Amino acid sequence: MVATRLIFVSGKGGTGKSAVAAGLAITRARGGESVLALDMAVSPGLATHLGSKRLGYKPIEVRDGLFAMSVNRAAALDEYLKLQLRVPQGAPTKQIAGVLNLLADTAPGVREIISVGKPVHETWKGTWDTVVVDAPSLGQFRSYLRAPKTIAELVSTGNVRRQARALEETLHDSAVTSIVFVTNPAELPINETVESIDIMRTESLGPRPTIVMNRLLPAGLIDPDQLDALPPGPVRDAAELQTRLEAEQAMWVEAIDAAWSLPYLRGILTPHEISLQLSDAMGPVE
Amino acid sequence: MTTRTIIVTGAGGVGKTTISAAIAASLATRGLRTLVLTIDPAKRLADALGIRDLGDEPEPVAGQDKMWAAMLDVSASWEAIIYRYAEPDVGDRLLVNPYFRAIADRFPAAQAYAAGERMAEYIESKQYDALVIDTPPSGGGIDFYTAPARTSDLVSGKLLKWLTGSHFPGRSVLYRFTAKPMLKLADTILGGPMLSGVADFLLDLRTMYENLSARSRTMERYLRQATTVVVTTADPTPVYETKRFFHQLGGISIVPAGIVFNRALPLDWIEAASKPIRGVPDADLRARARVNLRTWAAEARRQADAASELAARYGVPMYAIGLSTPVPDDLTGLRDLVETTDLLKDLGF
Repeated sequence: MVATRLIFVSGKGGTGKSAVAAGLAITRARGGESVLALDMAVSPGLATHLGSKRLGYKPIEVRDGLFAMSVNRAAALDEYLKLQLRVPQGAPTKQIAGVLNLLADTAPGVREIISVGKPVHETWKGTWDTVVVDAPSLGQFRSYLRAPKTIAELVSTGNVRRQARALEETLHDSAVTSIVFVTNPAELPINETVESIDIMRTESLGPRPTIVMNRLLPAGLIDPDQLDALPPGPVRDAAELQTRLEAEQAMWVEAIDAAWSLPYLRGILTPHEISLQLSDAMGPVE
Repeated sequence: MTTRTIIVTGAGGVGKTTISAAIAASLATRGLRTLVLTIDPAKRLADALGIRDLGDEPEPVAGQDKMWAAMLDVSASWEAIIYRYAEPDVGDRLLVNPYFRAIADRFPAAQAYAAGERMAEYIESKQYDALVIDTPPSGGGIDFYTAPARTSDLVSGKLLKWLTGSHFPGRSVLYRFTAKPMLKLADTILGGPMLSGVADFLLDLRTMYENLSARSRTMERYLRQATTVVVTTADPTPVYETKRFFHQLGGISIVPAGIVFNRALPLDWIEAASKPIRGVPDADLRARARVNLRTWAAEARRQADAASELAARYGVPMYAIGLSTPVPDDLTGLRDLVETTDLLKDLGF
């Protein structure tokens, strides 16, 4: 039996990370894998990209072989206490949950460890071929990856620490965990992605991220030298926009080494249609 | 002289920092002494303004008279807050407490609270006619408005009462707390010395309660006097965040003055796309130009639909800012972004 793969999809806000996460989950499921797509964000991004209604804590099948769920803190906390901390029989579980819940508002790392714990626990179960996580944007994602270390600094003994250590081991195991950063061929997304990769390496927060260049325009549609041959007004303005964007993107594509490139899908498309088209563009993965 | 405050909020990646800098540069051009404060850790304002290593202290912006820029340093701001409001020995203890350090660095409300404190200081300095605040994207921007109250809650909080049995405990009650068998069990299961460390921290923070809550009320007053502008694009996530933000602000009776719709495409492309292209003899070029215009027009149509839905739902003015590429990195270009709209005129500038 092949071990479960855990794939976190993060990126700068606005680069299309939910769309890519959904597209990746669809691709894996189309390839015959049993897939869990898991949303760590509050927004309904993943649900709409999977063409589903609001997701709950219990996975639901959104298409053949593809299940989806959303991490809800109260439910995750409850499960964490029962399954991960193995609070002994007869202990006042409810009160301990109360303490932990209050701590989550105060002590750093507690909230994060409960949220990042869920996808890892799903991986440990061994029931999925792949767990795809729609993770928060870059800065917040790093604080999730940092949480096990933060906990280890603050707590010297006990189950929380032991649990945090096990999480960290899985998160750092590149045979299990992959990290995908979605970016766009523009200055700010590229700069923030490069900066984030550096911080990930310096703080050794996990495996080296794989870069997905999303929203790539078709190159060479309009030759800049031919702009003058077009009538002034919308026709020429749109052509000029296209050539400027192409030139800009050519520059930024050079700045980073992307493993895959995905097209910029424009026009009246639902989020679900976008993800299906991105999945088509991905082809069979790995 | 009173300071006009403009708070610029919106989802991540919509161009808040650029818009904030653009508003500030335009106000400075009108002769108003203007400060722009960015809270975003990615130094995006520095990118947009071509200046790096911004700090807590406002720096004059080169090339723009009467404009200053500052970037929030959360840790430094909290240190200043602690030394201003805590007894010196408590301050020393808090600053080395690992919970304090971790909270100041990572707790989103701590970041928003520090920003609010900065805002209050800049207003009270009476050195600026206008203050433009670029808010952090966490929690869709609502954190900035709720942080003063939430921070008072934390200090007076449920957790402390629960740990110590009192809203006004002295340090000695810690001994009582460690004697509670249930909490002792919790510490054994969760791990030590987590609870006692948090309790220590909260007890010290508690001594600042009167000062912090008085300050929070002042900050809330400034927040209510400020003008809020929401920035969005036509992408589904920013549109969703905008709706959620309006809903949350409504809950605290704050109504944004308008929505800035960033990266908008010209609406006349929609109609133009259905007309034949004339005067281009090269058939291949004509076909390519047609495909190109149609593709962009479809995107313009999607944007128009999203914008009219938001306008109809909230009844606030929409200010479309055209897609410019690359994003302007000079002051003239920045000013032009907002000067093409009626935003500043409508805000009374």
